[in-house]
Amino acid sequence: MTEQRKDILDMLAAGKITAEEAEQLIAALERDQAPAAAGLDARPKGKVKYLRVVVDATDNGEPSRVNVRVPLQLLRAGVRLAALVPPQALVKANASLSDSGVPIDLTQLKPEQLEALVEHLDDMTVEVDSPDATVRVFCE
Amino acid sequence: MPQLVTVKVNRPARRPIRVWVPVLPVALLLFPIVVLVVLAAIVACLVFRIGAVRALGAGWRVISALPGARFDIEQGRTAVLVAIR
Repeated sequence: MTEQRKDILDMLAAGKITAEEAEQLIAALERDQAPAAAGLDARPKGKVKYLRVVVDATDNGEPSRVNVRVPLQLLRAGVRLAALVPPQALVKANASLSDSGVPIDLTQLKPEQLEALVEHLDDMTVEVDSPDATVRVFCE
Repeated sequence: MPQLVTVKVNRPARRPIRVWVPVLPVALLLFPIVVLVVLAAIVACLVFRIGAVRALGAGWRVISALPGARFDIEQGRTAVLVAIR
């Protein structure tokens, strides 16, 4: 995922822009990047079905591995289910998140924004390397 | 809808455990409990003023989307695999 696309999705997640604005920005970004990106992304677009999380780590000298494969359809269904969470529960969750040092206002997250995030997950690859652990999050 | 849930547990110096759970027969067997759970969910929806039909529909979508999910965790010589087909 490019830095610009990530910025757009961050703004969408933060509620600074609407889903339509994000879509327009991403479309404009794709128009600009299409000629340059041709041939770089070998993954067939629109065919990804799963979100994969792979963690390789060493814990007390023993190798450990977590390999999770979640259907993207499950994420979409989860977003629809999360949209049904009552506002009073969201307020409590906000307070708990804030206490934990994660100041996110869940009431500002709209289902369509989350849907847009899930839609664009196929472009995402996150790799974190540290001396004793490697984390990869990608779609396939 | 999920058809089969596979659970495998490998433990050091012990025989591995492998369980295949056919979802539909087990759901039929547990039908009375499933009905109670659905009724409890409907009551909860009414208490929290959530559309019961929407909530049940969303819950069904989640269950329907489960096939293909796979959770594989290894720690040393111990491993747990849960796969839903």
